[in-house]
Formats: sequence, C-alpha cells, structure tokens
Amino acid sequence: MSRFLPVEDGLVRMQRELKRALDGDPQKIKWGMVIDLAKCTGCHACTVACVAENKLPPGVVYRPVLEIEMGTYPAVRRNFIPRPCLQCQNPPCTKVCPVTATYKNEAGVVVVDYNRCIGCRYCLVACPYSARTSDFGEWYTRGTTEGQGVVQGQKTAAAGYEVDPSAEYGKKWPPRGKGSPIGNARKCHFCLHRLAVGMLPACVTTCIGRATIFGNRNDPESLIFQMIGSARAFQLKAELGTQPAVYYLA
Amino acid sequence: MQYRLFPILSILAIAGLVIGSYGMFDRLVNGLYPVAFGSYVPWGLWVAFYLFFLGLSAGAFLVTILTYLLNIKAFKSIGPLSAFMVLVCLLCEVLFILLDLGTMHRAFYQFFLTPSFSSLLTWMFVLFNLMGIIYTLKTYFLVRGEIIQGAAHQKGLLKTIYRILSFGRSHYDEAMRSADDHRVHRLAWLSLPVGLLFYATNGAFFAILINRPIWNSAVTPLLFVVAALLSGGALVAFLTYLYVDNGQGLRDTLLKYLGRSILFLLCLFLVLQAIQFFVGYQTGRTDIVTALNHITVGPHAWIFWVVHLGIGSIIPLLLLTFAQKSAKAVAAACFLIFVTFVAVRYNFIIPDLAVYKLEGLEFVFRHARLSTDYVPNLNEWLVAVWIISLGLLAFLLGTRYLPIVNAKLGGMDHAS
Repeated sequence: MSRFLPVEDGLVRMQRELKRALDGDPQKIKWGMVIDLAKCTGCHACTVACVAENKLPPGVVYRPVLEIEMGTYPAVRRNFIPRPCLQCQNPPCTKVCPVTATYKNEAGVVVVDYNRCIGCRYCLVACPYSARTSDFGEWYTRGTTEGQGVVQGQKTAAAGYEVDPSAEYGKKWPPRGKGSPIGNARKCHFCLHRLAVGMLPACVTTCIGRATIFGNRNDPESLIFQMIGSARAFQLKAELGTQPAVYYLA
Repeated sequence: MQYRLFPILSILAIAGLVIGSYGMFDRLVNGLYPVAFGSYVPWGLWVAFYLFFLGLSAGAFLVTILTYLLNIKAFKSIGPLSAFMVLVCLLCEVLFILLDLGTMHRAFYQFFLTPSFSSLLTWMFVLFNLMGIIYTLKTYFLVRGEIIQGAAHQKGLLKTIYRILSFGRSHYDEAMRSADDHRVHRLAWLSLPVGLLFYATNGAFFAILINRPIWNSAVTPLLFVVAALLSGGALVAFLTYLYVDNGQGLRDTLLKYLGRSILFLLCLFLVLQAIQFFVGYQTGRTDIVTALNHITVGPHAWIFWVVHLGIGSIIPLLLLTFAQKSAKAVAAACFLIFVTFVAVRYNFIIPDLAVYKLEGLEFVFRHARLSTDYVPNLNEWLVAVWIISLGLLAFLLGTRYLPIVNAKLGGMDHAS
C-alpha cells in the first residue's frame, strides 16, 4: 500500500520524532504545535478526544474549535479554528498567579499545580485567549434519573466513570469530588502524561484531517520545525507579545 | 447614633444573618457549584462587593489620616469611628474574597509557602494584612484608656470583655494616654504609604491585564483611588450625621467640609468616567465599544443610567450644590452616593468580562459556565446579605458597647 502514498503519514513521522526527542537531551525539548486551518474540517474530534482523555467535567474545555462564518449569502464560508492553550512563552497567566501554582515548565508548557492553586481565577481573566476554564464541580450525572439497569443510571456506569480521576500531569488524583481539581483553574497541557510514555497528545492522534502537527520546536529535522518556518504560519494575537508556542497555518 | 435606630438595625442585621445562612451553608458545602458565574465571567457579584467595601474603607482611611497625621481638629470627633470603620470594611472585604476562592482553605497557607511577588494579588494580600494589623492597633490604642477605665464600671459579659482587652491593667493616666497618642501618630504615619499602596494596587490589579477592554488603561488606578475616596468619604459623612453630637454646631461644620470635598470628588469622578467613555468609544475597537455598550445600552443599562447616574450622581450633585448648608441634605446626598456605588463597581467588573476574547467562542461548546451572560443568582445574593449583615452587626455592637464613639479623641494634643 505504501507505494500508493506519496509521503509518509504525518502521524507516523510525528510519532518517530517524538521518540527521538524523548531519547535525546530533555533540556533541548521545547514542545510546540502547528494547526493547519486549511486542513481542519471542523469535526470537533480533537475537542471530544481531549474531554475523554482528561476526563473533563461539564463546563471545562481545553480545546474548543471556534467556528467563524464570513460573508453573506450566497458568498458565505465557514472557518474553523481549534484553540488549545497557546502555551505562551511570555505567558500573562503565570505572572498573575499569587501562589506560583501555574508556571512554564522546562519544555515550554504552561502547567497548573492543582495542589497549590487557590482558585482565585486571576489567570482566567489574564489569559487573552480564554484558554483557561475553572472547574466548578459540575457532574454529568447530576440531576439525571436513577436507572435500574446495569449500564445506565447514576450509581452504575455513568457515576463510576465520573468518579474515576484523570491521569493529568501523570499523577494519581483522588476520586472526583474529593478535592482538586475541583475549584481549580484548568487548561490544556499538551497531554504531558501521554508524552511521558511516548504517546502524542490526544487531539493530535484523533485529528482526521491531520491538521494538528506536534513536536519538538528545537529539532530542525522535525515536521513542526518545517511548518513553523512556513510563510503561512502566524500566531494568534501576536501583537500582544505573548509569543505562543502554538502556530497556525493560514 | 439615636438609640431607636440601634435595635432596628440590629434586628435587620440578625435577620440578614439568618436569611443569608442558607446561602452560606450552600456555598461552604457545595463549593462554587451554586454560583452563577463561570469561566468567561470568572468574577461576579462578590468581587463587585469587595470593591464596594474597599471604597468605603478608603474614605474612613482618609479621615484617620487627616485626623491623626495631619492633626486636623475638625475630624477628631469621628477619628476612632473611622478607624473602626476601616476594620469592619476590611472584615467584609476578606470574607467576600475568601468565599470567592475555589479552594478557600489554601489561601490560609499557600501565600506563605509559595508566594509569587510578580503577582499584584500577592501584594494585595501583604498590604491587606498590614492594613489589618495597623488599624487593629490604631483602634485599640485610641480606645484603650476608656476600656481600662470602663472595666471597673461595666457589668456582666461586657466587664469580662473590657478586662480581657485591658490586658490586666486597671490604671490609666495621662502619661499612658500620651504614649498611646504617640503610638497612634506613628501608626498613622505608617498607614499612609501602606494605605495608598493598598488602594492603588487594587486599581493596578485590573489595569495591568492586557487585552481587557476597559480595565487595561493608565486611568484605572486613578479612577480607583478617586472612586474609593468618593464612596468612602460619603459613608463617613453619613456616619458623621448619625453619630456626631451637634453641640456648638460641630456636626454641621464637619458636614459642610465633607459635603464640599465630596462634591469635588463626585465631579472629578464623573469627569474621569466621561473621559474613559469618550476615549473608549472614539477608539472604535470592537471589544471596547462592546464592553461600553454593555454598560450604556445593554440589558442592564438601567444600573448605569438610573442607579449610578440618576440616583447616585445627579440627585446628590443637586443636593450638594444647592442645599449644601443643610446637614440633612448633605447626609442624604452622601447616603445615596455610597449606597448606589455598588452599581459602579458592578459596571466596572462585569461588562469588561462579558466580552468574548475570541470571535466564535460564543458558538462552540455551549454550557452555562462558558457564557458571558451573567446575572447574580440567589446564592450569591444570600452570601452577600450574610456578609453585609455580619459587617453591620459588628459595626453596631462595636459602636454601642466599645468606647468607639465616646473615646477621648486621640491625636497629638496629649503628646505635645
């Protein structure tokens, strides 16, 4: 089959590059993302994958896909803009945190320490991209009917799923409802827990149009390095000086 | 204050505590789940009330500076009352902010364990605590003499409280009063930079945020200081009318001075606000115009036009201009200003947040927490009622049973 494919699939290449980055010097890793808007079909698979991977409760979203309609009928078109955390290299959100609960790690990813966050939401207000949401302790199963069956109802499968904590930041969190991250600020973290075990972020692997490219921005041989150098590349609200590590291809 | 008001206001405060306790219970048990604000409007009514009480404390702070630092004798009769007022306002402020935190318990230790001094919130925490310490000591030293002397005359629970506050002393003479007055004067010196930094930091807290349509402006800290002095000064003037005895026309003289100052501050505030609106609209930037439109023509525009401009500005302006010789008119004008000032705070907080930062965000991933439509819900109001009632009760009990109003007036007269 490979002789029918003009090039190697982007996912395979990114996977190989990820392994190379993890095998190399960790000091040289700077994770980045490029989103090719021309390839995004607006399927929202990345949003759903992210919600499932990080077990996001209602009202918390890390990677919505913005839908922008332009023009007037019949000359109309629709653009889709996936918006993860842009992992600013000059992040306005970390400076305002009063307890150093959010900071940029060595790999250039802005993270939140759930066990430090006091839930003041100053970072939510400071983020120019609305990339942070607060966990208000919502439940999918709150207010749903009690089913008698095996797989339906609050006390069976659904509630069990919700109580089971996410694997965010590679830590073992308490069952949902028993402390953090309820009450905390939450955000996209490039699926650091997946990267640590050699897996690409959930939004990257589920992108059906291969619109999301991920890798080490410092690796000159990588796909992401090439894409960032494209004449089509731009950053959201670049004029603010936040220096996002997420680029878009127009 | 006339005695007949005390039981009425006390009953009101207790009723508020009882009614509000339902909201408090809900908040403490269910965290932030019961509130109406979300991730796109992350701050709501409680932050507006925090700013409201911040403003009230600023006015009282100003009076203490005038009295105990600049030694202006006209204000001495309300000096201890103002110092106590600062304390009560600080109590309300801290409660509003604590309850607004998602993980409230961490605020008690995380600021000490991992503080970040690049954050203005950390500085607000430091300055707030300094203000609390300074004003607790200042209020205590202002009334210590009366407490020690009063311990012998009081009965029952009050006697015990007075004895505890006397720290074992039963004698208080002129030398001790002089020493206390010196302490108050030194604390007043210390409170000047701390207080000014505290109020300016609160303005800068909002002004430094990039990409915020209304807040991100150099005029914001100035507007904050003027707003704080205006609302707080109005409260102090109103309390002067209630608490200060009009022997030899003292109260009316005080109100005349305060009335003029407040008229000036009101005009200054309205001019600054007009400049803010004019510049904002002239930029034509979508986010700024949208935020300003939320205030002027949005669904809650009545808060701006009726409550703030009508009741809180134009009527007081007329009263302070044409009836400034009447103490009652000045008191009424000041009452209207400080009561309606919560509308100013609400319009400062919400409209700025109620603008989507990215086009198209409003059409995806719909959820009540991911919307800019915010109206405070019953829980938020009940918690606010509880905190305000607690503040009112603390104020009433303090002024009734502690020698706040009848204290010797402090200042440097004894010291010199």
